[in-house]
Amino acid sequence: MRLSEIFRLVWLNLSQNKFKVILTSIGIVAGSATIMMVLAIGTGGREEVAEQFKNLNAGAVDISYEENVVNEKVTLTYEDAENLMLFVPEISDATISYSATASVEGGELDTSSYYTVAGVLHNYGTISNLGMAIGEFLTEENNQNKEKICILGSAVANAVFGSAYNAYDNTLYIDDRAYVVGGVLSEMGSVASGISPDQTVFIPYETGIKYITGNDISPTITVIADDVEAVESVMADVESELKESYPNTAFTISDAGSKMEAASASNETLTLLLISMAVIVFIVGGIGIMNVLFVTVKERTNEIGILKAIGCSRKEILLEFLLEAGCTSLVGGVLGVLLALAVTPVVELFSVRVELSVQGAVLSLLFGVITGSIFGFYPAYKASRLVPVVALNQE
Amino acid sequence: MITMKAINKGYMLGEERLPILKNIDFSVEKGEYVAILGPSGSGKTTFMNIVGCMDIMDSGEYFLDGMAIHETKEDDLTEVRNRKIGFIFQNYQLIPTYNVMQNIIMPLLMRGMKHGEAEEKCIDTIHLLGLGERILHKPNELSGGQKQRVSIARALVGKPAILLDDEPTGALDQTSGRDVLKLFKELNEMGNTIVMITHDLEVARSAKRIVRIVDGVLAG
Repeated sequence: MRLSEIFRLVWLNLSQNKFKVILTSIGIVAGSATIMMVLAIGTGGREEVAEQFKNLNAGAVDISYEENVVNEKVTLTYEDAENLMLFVPEISDATISYSATASVEGGELDTSSYYTVAGVLHNYGTISNLGMAIGEFLTEENNQNKEKICILGSAVANAVFGSAYNAYDNTLYIDDRAYVVGGVLSEMGSVASGISPDQTVFIPYETGIKYITGNDISPTITVIADDVEAVESVMADVESELKESYPNTAFTISDAGSKMEAASASNETLTLLLISMAVIVFIVGGIGIMNVLFVTVKERTNEIGILKAIGCSRKEILLEFLLEAGCTSLVGGVLGVLLALAVTPVVELFSVRVELSVQGAVLSLLFGVITGSIFGFYPAYKASRLVPVVALNQE
Repeated sequence: MITMKAINKGYMLGEERLPILKNIDFSVEKGEYVAILGPSGSGKTTFMNIVGCMDIMDSGEYFLDGMAIHETKEDDLTEVRNRKIGFIFQNYQLIPTYNVMQNIIMPLLMRGMKHGEAEEKCIDTIHLLGLGERILHKPNELSGGQKQRVSIARALVGKPAILLDDEPTGALDQTSGRDVLKLFKELNEMGNTIVMITHDLEVARSAKRIVRIVDGVLAG
């Protein structure tokens, strides 16, 4: 029999049992929807991690004060950063920064709002890979002269002035003091050294101490290892160097690479967990298809007998039932993809990033069809092996 | 057309073998119309299944249209059933989800014929059997006589070497039964070879030759 005729028979049988097809394919609907969502959530998670860390230098090591055994708080300084540059080999650059919260006024704001204000050095922008949308980042002179100049994160510029263009060269009031907006950052969408650049106002390090925080700050020193491979030895050297300067003090020393790895690993674990769940759903769906196909073969034993009596070969019967299983799964797969599309906005309501893709849809369809065909094979094989005279006499 | 020599067939009943057909010799010439007459349990259905290549004999030789069926494998028997035999069953054995046309063209589709070509090829047969008005009806929308006509049409379209009828009037009322027998006569006159199995002497009398089967043995 021609393949097109077998397809016609399959279509005839399926179209006359639409409800049964839908019920049979429910397991595959769930499986396909799950696998599509899993892939979309996995991709979303990966992109989230990538975005979060995109301006983190993989060789960056952050050092901050943790505790002191005699309860004397230690404040890290420029000199500490310079010492590290001097005594720890394999460091290419170092900077120091701190952050605080301050009230901000100006632009389109009717009332004052609170934003993170970060006191940074001129090299912070390079170390954190910050890009400028307009203007230039802070300079060494700005810091030395304790100038009241600021660089705005993109979200701050939009919220206060409506746009980066409007913000540039305008005046921003931080804790009631006027600052000139020297530039606006490009949208970064990530966190560096514990600071989210989009939501932050950057000012010179010394300016912040003088006008906003006073000396009560907990700065973070960030050093950059020459090579990512050298990060571990840099961390060890930094620890021993700081121990010499501050014998009774513990510091938190963390590297960006491990943070990235940890975030990626946890994301991968989550994806793996979700994929396992999808596989289980598929197996359950496949068993459902197998059960229904067994019942179908039983119901249609007489029909199989007739087909065999008038010359239908084993191969053709196997193919017909297999195609029925495959088409039922395909219907399930398509419904699953549609379900995933429908569910996506709901999932996103829970702040889960979902990145749907055509590849994901094709893969889930493929998984659905393969599962249905694998589980449909045995009933189809049983049907094809029926002895014509026995099948024909089956009531 | 058919030559059978020393055909034996039995079934295992527990440990014991129950013989159904015993040393049967049987032959049918081209264009013959033969009735196999026997009571219930005489082995006539088993005999019909072997003639129709739907069951395999335990021993003996069977030649159909020059082909040694006893040496043929199951996969090849499928093709023999499709090309050389036209089955007409007592209970019509139509596929309930297919309409009249779809049921009739099935044997042609199984030969690899295209759908349109198969439909065209069976138009004459459909008109011969008076089913022109019914081609889109499903079997459950037909009377017993009409269903049997569909079954006959399906058997005829492939122009088989032999038509095998298993109690063709068994499920029909008297009038429809008479019509079907009349049709067989006409088909035989048109040159078709027919072997019919029945337990009814009246039905058997419509054939040109009657062979009796009793306890698995053929007589006369």
